[in-house]
Amino acid sequence: MGNRRRGSILTSLAVTAALAVGYGIVSFMAYKSWLSSYHVQILIWVGVNVIMGVSLNLINGFTGQFSLGHAGFMAIGAYTAAYCTKILGLPFAVALIAGGITASAGGLLVGVPTLRLAGDYLAIATLGFGEIIRVAIVNLSVVGGPRGLGGIPAHTTFLWVYCVAVLAVVVVKNIIGSRHGRAFIAIREDETAAETMGIDTIKTKIAAFVIGAFFAGVAGGLYAHKITYIDPGQFDFMKSIESLVIIVLGGMGSITGSVVAAFIVTFLPEVLRPLAEWRMVAYSLMLILIMLYRPKGLMGSAEVSIAGIRSRLGRAFGGFGVGVGAQAACTAAADGSGCGSRSGAGGADVHARAAKLPPAIETQGVCMNFGGLKAVCDLNIQIAKGELTAVIGPNGAGKTTVFNMFTGLSNASVGAVLYNGKNITNRRPSEINVAGIARTFQNIRLFSNMTVLENVMIALNGQHHYSMLESVLRSGRYLQAEEEIRNRALALLAIFKLDNRADEIAGKLPYGDQRRLEIARALATNPHVLLLDEPAAGMNPQETQELMELIKWVHREYDLTVLLIEHDMKLVMNLAQRIIVLDHGVMIADGTPAEVVKNTKVIQAYLGEEAV
Amino acid sequence: MLLGFDMSQILQQLVNGLALGSVYALIALGYTMVYGIVRLINFAHGDVFMLGAYYGFFAITRLHIPFILAMPIAMGLAALTGVIIERLAYRPLRQAPRIAALITAIGVSLLIQNLGLKLFESRPRPYPQIMRTIVWDVGGVVFSNTQIVMLGVALLLMVLISLFVYKTKTGKALRAVAFDRDAARLMGIDSDRIILITFALGSALAAAGGVLVGFYYNRITPTMGTMYGLKAFVAAVVGGIGIVPGAMLGGVIMGIAEVFVVAFVSSTLKDAIAFAVLIVVLLVKPAGLLGRAVREKV
Repeated sequence: MGNRRRGSILTSLAVTAALAVGYGIVSFMAYKSWLSSYHVQILIWVGVNVIMGVSLNLINGFTGQFSLGHAGFMAIGAYTAAYCTKILGLPFAVALIAGGITASAGGLLVGVPTLRLAGDYLAIATLGFGEIIRVAIVNLSVVGGPRGLGGIPAHTTFLWVYCVAVLAVVVVKNIIGSRHGRAFIAIREDETAAETMGIDTIKTKIAAFVIGAFFAGVAGGLYAHKITYIDPGQFDFMKSIESLVIIVLGGMGSITGSVVAAFIVTFLPEVLRPLAEWRMVAYSLMLILIMLYRPKGLMGSAEVSIAGIRSRLGRAFGGFGVGVGAQAACTAAADGSGCGSRSGAGGADVHARAAKLPPAIETQGVCMNFGGLKAVCDLNIQIAKGELTAVIGPNGAGKTTVFNMFTGLSNASVGAVLYNGKNITNRRPSEINVAGIARTFQNIRLFSNMTVLENVMIALNGQHHYSMLESVLRSGRYLQAEEEIRNRALALLAIFKLDNRADEIAGKLPYGDQRRLEIARALATNPHVLLLDEPAAGMNPQETQELMELIKWVHREYDLTVLLIEHDMKLVMNLAQRIIVLDHGVMIADGTPAEVVKNTKVIQAYLGEEAV
Repeated sequence: MLLGFDMSQILQQLVNGLALGSVYALIALGYTMVYGIVRLINFAHGDVFMLGAYYGFFAITRLHIPFILAMPIAMGLAALTGVIIERLAYRPLRQAPRIAALITAIGVSLLIQNLGLKLFESRPRPYPQIMRTIVWDVGGVVFSNTQIVMLGVALLLMVLISLFVYKTKTGKALRAVAFDRDAARLMGIDSDRIILITFALGSALAAAGGVLVGFYYNRITPTMGTMYGLKAFVAAVVGGIGIVPGAMLGGVIMGIAEVFVVAFVSSTLKDAIAFAVLIVVLLVKPAGLLGRAVREKV
């Protein structure tokens, strides 16, 4: 712990020193006239582009929200900052912050209504907002309308831009490496899964827009106080495209890439200047060629330099913690936080206990229609606390729909869904997960481009709180919470025999491992009720056998209520205390395994009329 | 707001809006067909529209080809351009992340525009007068023979393209590829060929739009593709992207909305109204007016 903190302080100092040296070199070269004022000016534009690129990367590359309106935020910041210094006579720093804040407000304004949209539709809507902001400024006579705003004091120096660019990089980088950042990336990877892991995706997406817009606004302020004359035409669609080019060229989700690409995009037109009128033709040709030969951008999603050094340092110090975490795995479970176990009651005499308590989960006469199709109709299910129940039925019986209703992914058209006696019918999946219901998915929904460890860490996000400010500053509760999250995740992985694969990419795991990782991830949210949607699908008999033992063990050890959908009858018969049979959205049987196999309706549903 | 204006003025703007909207619809068709089939926002499409206008311009002024022939020639050349773009710039990226193709499309757009600025000169060119404008006044509503020609040509092309997409074998293949490219390939459809045909058709329609804009507004510039392209794309999204009748509906809505805003509110809002309509439509019907929302299966 102390080591970690000291390590983190040391790295920060080293980074600060390196940055100071970097600035020193540039100013020395400028002083010696090795760099002309023209060069310094280009470096200032590089800095502005770095800020634009990194901030858009947060929205687009990390959170996966395709935004084409970044220039709109820049325009808001540029105009606000220019207005503050030129007309209100405020200090430059205040003006920049004001520009950032108004742009953030713009981000909020854009974020809230467009959040229902995804992918290309979101892109087009943000493009529209960008254009609307521009036209709004054209109609705003206080800032010159279409004529623009001139005579802005030239406050922007290389030092200003350098500092803000470094700040932007550090803030974005630190956020990405925190629980907030993991939430951003989880949304990019799989929004539905993120929501069911307790991440409030709406809030998180808005946060990404607001932070990204803030820095775009500050970049706009810097831009305005360098160019000293702004008009709405400077912030058109092409300006947004410029930022997009930076992040795609550099590699989506790579901060280093954005920085490198900002240099290229700024310098390239300057280098091509001798071509005179053919310059833009050459520029666009090079853009096409780079994309054709490096479709994932120059860096892919990799990071270099400082990031690499830091992670190496982190691993050196983290090694100790990892060992302890793995040893403390659930066999001991002494501190309770080791695996989130609420052991004590065990699985003993579940039914006697259940009789006195309200059902853990229940549906009251729910119906669910998709268009004309009735997926589920007038369904009444009660699952007692601590029960291990299987839901079976032919394909299309409505089993997954029941799961979706319990987890908030589908809202019942009629009737109510209850959890511990409380109505959760129209609650959001993230709220339901925080309340204590976790699930896995039939068609595996891992965060496939993240590591095995990160997948579980995301699920632990909600249980270790620290603010975004603490993650930016890497202080306060941040270090301890991160260590706890990491250790708990490793302990859980150890239970599922995945700890030796902790650093592998989740999407590359063998099928059976992916299924187990999904269960580990669900367990990490510390649920009371666990819903498993076909956990054994695609597993071989050996794996299925192991899985069966694992589910039994988890059920007992974590004192869980388990509901599982499964087609493997051997597993169901051996595992379940009770079986519910659905057919065409209606419950046709409910009882112990022995009762259900003898039920004529069940035989009819599975084997047809003549089999009875 | 509208109460201060008499009915004939509203009808008048409706006529003007329909004329402009028919051009948007022609361009939007190319966007929608290409998006439907390769899920690519083809940003270069607006510039192909511009090229079409210039092909027509040079055919008429330099080669002295009559208008009635100049338009098919422009369409043919634009189709060829579209095919070349697809073959060289987009096909190599078929398996790459979609955003890479998008940036390439932006690169192609910039390339065409800057080549245009260099080769066609940046000054606006006056389009040759093809026919003497005759104006009719019917109860206060004025409309001209050029408007009728424009609407007529646009309508004819839209009917032809609909017949192609919905009534021919190739059209059926096109819809199959749009629905599921891999499944279509397994059914023996040469999806690369279908994609090329789509680009050719879309580009030809855009070129027709370009020639009509020159013919009607008598003025073309190498940068006109950007705004027309953006608005036509918005039209395609408003109608429901990937849906042929949606592009036509969206185009007409865009044209009418724009003309009305300019006539009755303020000309400075000319470029914003398209996007305002877009955002409202997307918030109410996220898949566009004729689009069907697809539920993700969990």
